[in-house]
Amino acid sequence: MRRAIGLAAVLAFTLASGAALAQTMVFTSWGGTTQDAQKKDWAVPFTRRTGIRVVQDGPTNYGKFKAMVQAGNVSWDVVDVEYDFAVRAAKDGLLAPLDLPAQDAARIVPGFLTRYAVGSFYYSFVIGYDAGHWRGRAPRTLADLFDTRRFPGKRAFYKWSAPGLLEAALLADGVPPAKLYPLDLNRAFRKLDTIKKDIVWWGSGAQSQQLLASGEAPIGLFWNGRVQALIQSGQKVAIDWTQNLTTGDVLVIPRGAPHLAAARRFIAYATSAKAQAAFATDTGYAPINQGSIALMAKTALPELPDSHAAGHVPLDMQYWADHRDQIASRWYAWQTK
Amino acid sequence: MPAPGAIAVREAQGTGLAGARPARGARGRGEGFAPAVPALALLLCCFALPVLALLLRSLLDPRPGLENYAALLATGTYYRVLANTFLVAGTVTAVTVLLGLPLAWFLAVAPAFWARLVFGIVVLSMWTNLLARTYAWMVLLQSTGVINRALIALGLVSAPLPLIDNLTGVTIGMVYIMLPFMVLSLRMPLAALDRETFRAAALCGASRWQAFWRVFLPLLMPGLASGALMIFVMALGYYITPSLLGGTSNMMLAELIAQLVQSLLQWGVAGAAAFVLLAITLSLYAVQVRLFGVRGAAGG
Repeated sequence: MRRAIGLAAVLAFTLASGAALAQTMVFTSWGGTTQDAQKKDWAVPFTRRTGIRVVQDGPTNYGKFKAMVQAGNVSWDVVDVEYDFAVRAAKDGLLAPLDLPAQDAARIVPGFLTRYAVGSFYYSFVIGYDAGHWRGRAPRTLADLFDTRRFPGKRAFYKWSAPGLLEAALLADGVPPAKLYPLDLNRAFRKLDTIKKDIVWWGSGAQSQQLLASGEAPIGLFWNGRVQALIQSGQKVAIDWTQNLTTGDVLVIPRGAPHLAAARRFIAYATSAKAQAAFATDTGYAPINQGSIALMAKTALPELPDSHAAGHVPLDMQYWADHRDQIASRWYAWQTK
Repeated sequence: MPAPGAIAVREAQGTGLAGARPARGARGRGEGFAPAVPALALLLCCFALPVLALLLRSLLDPRPGLENYAALLATGTYYRVLANTFLVAGTVTAVTVLLGLPLAWFLAVAPAFWARLVFGIVVLSMWTNLLARTYAWMVLLQSTGVINRALIALGLVSAPLPLIDNLTGVTIGMVYIMLPFMVLSLRMPLAALDRETFRAAALCGASRWQAFWRVFLPLLMPGLASGALMIFVMALGYYITPSLLGGTSNMMLAELIAQLVQSLLQWGVAGAAAFVLLAITLSLYAVQVRLFGVRGAAGG
């Protein structure tokens, strides 16, 4: 009899855990070292805690995102996207509201929470440079990034029309951070013209690392986490934080996501102080939960944008969401000329 | 008035294909259709219908009208990218033909062992991942790369040669990828080539140069033309290689379309861009059909 009860218990347990494990959701991000950390620090502990299996997909592709939602055939539940895309997608009705519990919402860094999006992490565009390239001299400001006389060599910049480089050009040209927006595109492109022949473009984080690490481009504007990863792997490269342009990725739920409840629970966990602290420690990208810094080792802090707040220049995502098409058309016209 | 070569081509096809498809002439027109139904259905579902949907979207999204075409043609960007796309595809095709023809000839006349070895190397390169191959070229070609370092160390150049982020880089990377296709399309016509023809040409007093231009090349023209067309059309749609080895002034249409689709979400404009490219490509194909006939153009 006892044996039978034991068997039944085992059976019931198996069935129950089977049912729990059968619940899955899909998380989509950008691949590479960033998504590896998101899996390790968010998805794995989340599954351990809730039994909900998280399938990793990627890379994020806005075309696919829009097509899924419009066709009513969505296979992604939580997607890591750039902030300006989230602003536009919310306006276009592509997103489901997050309904983050009030006590969780209160912990999010201001500016990183809307009805449809919550910060995934935030990062800075920083000057990354080859530490030994100019015999002890090191670039200190964005103006140095555009000074090919004092700092000769190729510059590596992100290839596509996106927040970052235009702002850097204007700041280098002397525009004060408070007067950056609306962007003076003519002035920005004039400034970029002065170094156009010295630019090499990167289309992905991995390519940016290759250009900097190989010395092909001894200086450039990079995502801070990518340069940090090079430093951690022993490359002789360095970061200048004097003026760093901050922006963030956010987590969103596509409208019509098949596992809405699981998606909301996942987002609540991923943005919790503990999960954010673990991710920030692994990547050098900053946490968007105000409780995370207290949980992190002191040694991890100097690598975070948080520790360089005096040099922060926030990129205006609302402006970009409203002007992305118009800027893109100027951008490609200039690039291909 | 067909070109003199075209007549020889038709004759060559007549003899070359007679052995390959002996029953063709005996069959009725409708016969042979049924086995092709699955492939035709696949083409209809996966090519014809999407192209139609693309055309419709370019005309209807976001509003009915020609505004997407107007937006596309209003700035110089699209013209430059389109012109560049054809420049790159044309350059790659020309270089591939120049390198592929001697290579294919070598494979046809070399001793069996060497022919098999070289052919193996050519085909093996096709089985390696495209992205890996392109990254490898990046590492070789960049100014701090293997080639430039070696040249500088040998004292052959004083400053690194600009081998990447320009047309040179794109051409090197893409010719390398396309070469096997050229060699494969020349294999059959070269194997079918009757060497006695050259002796006949020589007996008739043709110099080697004349024999090459007036006998050899016309006989090979169907394979050469179909291979070149295939490479040209494939090159038109290339994305990864130009993106990694070319500069932005070498931007090709596929890159621009990818940005429009993935990042800017302007699907109507992207559809229009793709459709204009398709229309130009089809008209080039039509020209080739006129010059070489359907079989020559399609790879008969």
